[in-house]
Amino acid sequence: MNNVILKVSNLKTYFFTSRGTVKAVDGVDFELRHGECLCLVGESGCGKTVTALSILRLFDSPPGEIVDGQISYDGLNLTNCSSEQLRQIRGKDISMVFQEAQSALNPVLTIGDQIIEQIKLHLPLNYSKAEDRAMTLLEEMGIPSAERVMSYYPHQLSGGMKQRVLIAMGLSCDPQILIADEPTTAVDVTIKAQILDIFRDLKTSRQMSTIFITHDLAVVAEIGDRAVVLYGGKDVETAPVSEIINNPKHPYTSGLIECLPDISKSTGKLASIPGTTPNPLKMPQGCAFHPRCPKAMEICSHQEPLETVISKEHRVNCHLYK
Amino acid sequence: MIKRLQDIIKRASQHLHLNTRLINYYWQRTRRNKLAVAGLAFIVFLVALAIIGPFFTLDPTEANFEEKNMPPAGFVTEQSVYNIETDEVTTKEVHGTWKHPLGTDSKGRDMLAMIVSGARVSLQVGLIATGIAIILGTIIGVLSAYLGGWVDNALMRFTDIMMTFPFFLLLVLIIFIFGSNLAFIVLAIGLTGWTGTARLTRSESLSLRTREFVVAAKALGASDKRVIFRHLIPNVISLIIVIATLSIPGVILAEAALSFIGLGDPMVSSWGIILEAGQHSLNTAWWVAVEPGIMLFLTVLAFNFLGDGLRDAFDPKSNI
Amino acid sequence: MEKSWLRDYIIKRLLYAVIIAWGILTITFIMVRVGPSSPADKYLANLAARGQDVAEVRAAIEARYGLDQPIYEQYIDYMGNLFQGNWGWSFSTSMPVIELIKTHWIYSFQLILLSSLFAAFLGILIGIYSAVKQYTKTDYAFTFFSFVGISIPNFWLGVMLILIFSVKLGLFKTYYDTTLPLFSLDNLKALVLPVITLGTGMLAGYVRYTRSAMLDNLRKAFVTTARAKGLPERTVIGKHVFRNALLPLITIIMFDLGSIVFGGAYLTEIIFGIPGLGQISFNAIFANDYPVVVAVTLIGTFMVLLVNLVTDITYTYLDPRIRYD
Repeated sequence: MNNVILKVSNLKTYFFTSRGTVKAVDGVDFELRHGECLCLVGESGCGKTVTALSILRLFDSPPGEIVDGQISYDGLNLTNCSSEQLRQIRGKDISMVFQEAQSALNPVLTIGDQIIEQIKLHLPLNYSKAEDRAMTLLEEMGIPSAERVMSYYPHQLSGGMKQRVLIAMGLSCDPQILIADEPTTAVDVTIKAQILDIFRDLKTSRQMSTIFITHDLAVVAEIGDRAVVLYGGKDVETAPVSEIINNPKHPYTSGLIECLPDISKSTGKLASIPGTTPNPLKMPQGCAFHPRCPKAMEICSHQEPLETVISKEHRVNCHLYK
Repeated sequence: MIKRLQDIIKRASQHLHLNTRLINYYWQRTRRNKLAVAGLAFIVFLVALAIIGPFFTLDPTEANFEEKNMPPAGFVTEQSVYNIETDEVTTKEVHGTWKHPLGTDSKGRDMLAMIVSGARVSLQVGLIATGIAIILGTIIGVLSAYLGGWVDNALMRFTDIMMTFPFFLLLVLIIFIFGSNLAFIVLAIGLTGWTGTARLTRSESLSLRTREFVVAAKALGASDKRVIFRHLIPNVISLIIVIATLSIPGVILAEAALSFIGLGDPMVSSWGIILEAGQHSLNTAWWVAVEPGIMLFLTVLAFNFLGDGLRDAFDPKSNI
Repeated sequence: MEKSWLRDYIIKRLLYAVIIAWGILTITFIMVRVGPSSPADKYLANLAARGQDVAEVRAAIEARYGLDQPIYEQYIDYMGNLFQGNWGWSFSTSMPVIELIKTHWIYSFQLILLSSLFAAFLGILIGIYSAVKQYTKTDYAFTFFSFVGISIPNFWLGVMLILIFSVKLGLFKTYYDTTLPLFSLDNLKALVLPVITLGTGMLAGYVRYTRSAMLDNLRKAFVTTARAKGLPERTVIGKHVFRNALLPLITIIMFDLGSIVFGGAYLTEIIFGIPGLGQISFNAIFANDYPVVVAVTLIGTFMVLLVNLVTDITYTYLDPRIRYD
């Protein structure tokens, strides 16, 4: 595995609140390889966002804490390195792009100000060079009249443009890894297509390694190389995208695929996975998915499944395969 | 007899569309705020003090020069005594006694009695003046929002004008012109303190009118009266309660400040007047300045705690 | 295009301020006329107290001040006088009211300015710190103290400070001396307790508002973005969060000025003997010197009007969301 650039091992991030401990991430393992687009998939509340935030330790730290696990990057363990080391990695080696570009940009600073700030922080450029770089980036992202946009405030831009600005900011210092948290969720379909185009481009033109978080399997099918399916704070299946779509092993994964509306089927109800996501304060015993699983067995209700290797690239955590 | 009382309350709450479950819910949320509960406890104590206190204390107006400037019980001070016959000034020790647990002032009047009767004044002024201000402000605010158009414009311009006057300066001017009668003072405070309430109730009414639950109610066929009573008013009431609780301290302080600068009703022993007298005898009788001030401070603090707690309890977005 | 929009707004706002000013003067006029004791009565009460014959003087006054004219003519005279700078005569000090104001306003200004600076500087810093350290003991302590600060009656605080420092400890015993320059060491020493008295209430307010404005913004998404960029925490708080908190803060603070500060300054001047406008108004009340009391009220009100105007325009200029809509 010599082109693995990021490795997450047994990551556990808990939130200690007055109403109890939320085990948002409870034992997640995956690795990111150079040049690939790895998708973290799951319903809301499954822990994918917190996993991503944990890589750069961006979650709110009084309630949240990484209680176990390692995140290996470039010889460092990101879970316990110093905040100074972490700061140097943020925005420069590993960048993160958030959903809801409207609230992710500072409303009282200009676009130019916000991009240049990041560039000047990490790269030894003077102001006008940084400005040029920022404008080039905006143009690369397909934003017309970049020079004017630099002096705009976020509320003057459309949703799609704001998302592009965020991505531009993320790329401004040529990071090795780009983490995108549901960038297509809060936008309408046309913009979604444009943004997916940008990500496809990133892979081919920059060989950028991406961690793409989404709940939408259709998006995974379009741009993902490999996917990690998360449920209840744990990874339940990891495989190349073609395997996930055509040969899903975990009942949850199959359930997700069946939920995708198929326009060729003109009759019948839309399929859905029965039940609701588990309450993070009261997770079910044993396998977290067993209350909703059509193939649940007796053992599932009191024992957590261990990892089973299906093939070189395909792993699953389920009692069905032992 | 108790049953009749219960019946009356039940019927009144039905007419007012009071939702006892909702009230209980808010009360539970308030209870969790310890400071608010402490504030409420103090207020209850103060009300009790004001109502029944005077029956147990000495006469606050009775001057007794023999016993002037006595410190509170447990304290010892020195007083200089001028002996007319020998033309000498000597000092003698004066001990506080339990007859005057809070000491006496320069005229020998019992401090505890004066503080208790001052409590009465402050609470009366607080409640009545706030009541006037709230009612006036709510009428103007809600009417303005409801009628809209030029009425709204005119009323809001008027509110803006009144709001520009610094509250205390305007009060001083009014009392200077019209006289220092306690009734006038209460009225004046009420007539100058309504502007904040007007603004807040107007903006709340305006926003309520367009909120989805109102539109939904109308879409379901609710009449205007029903919309107003079952939907608008309950939402405005909680706002009014909070405003009222937080206005009372300002009103009490205003009256005390007026008394402090000499514009208070001289017939009444307000805490402000006591404090003013105490200001001049800091050397000889410091307790005369300290005691009314502590009472004012604690009263204001209590209402602020309670008001803040109520505001958090009513706010659906705060997680209590 | 942006410049003319701002200019239009300023013009509109100025016109509005003029309307409010007119309203203020009119309401004051109504109050004076409606009052049971007119300025003439108060003046005559003074004369009577000194044993002079009242009836003749009354007729002369009424003729001179036009009190026998119909009300609308009096109103026009009143407005005219005010604009010409004729604010009446203060008989307790034997000088035109406007002179009195000109000589004394600077001391009020100094007191309010120093107190505001003290309160703003300290208050904003504590507010930011408190917000950043929410739920810690320090935050609870500061929050509690800000409650105390806004609850303490400021005139009592003044008296207590005098009791503790001047009487018991013997410090800060200097009195304000108008013969010395404004910022002389003695005068500054004399201002320490008054500034603390007036400033404490303001300080507590600044702490609360800053804290709440900061908290509103600390949980917002752009803060995480700023951190994700690798910015040091102090830049995240100081530049990103604070700039967003600053705008609403400015408005709240400025608008509070009228309701809290001027009343507080009035009392503080009286307690500490600072010869500002509050002090002369206080003296005038007991000398029954009507015009002075009215004049000080009007000055205070116009100050509030001015501050509101400036704040409004500044806020509109600064908030990019309003600017480009």
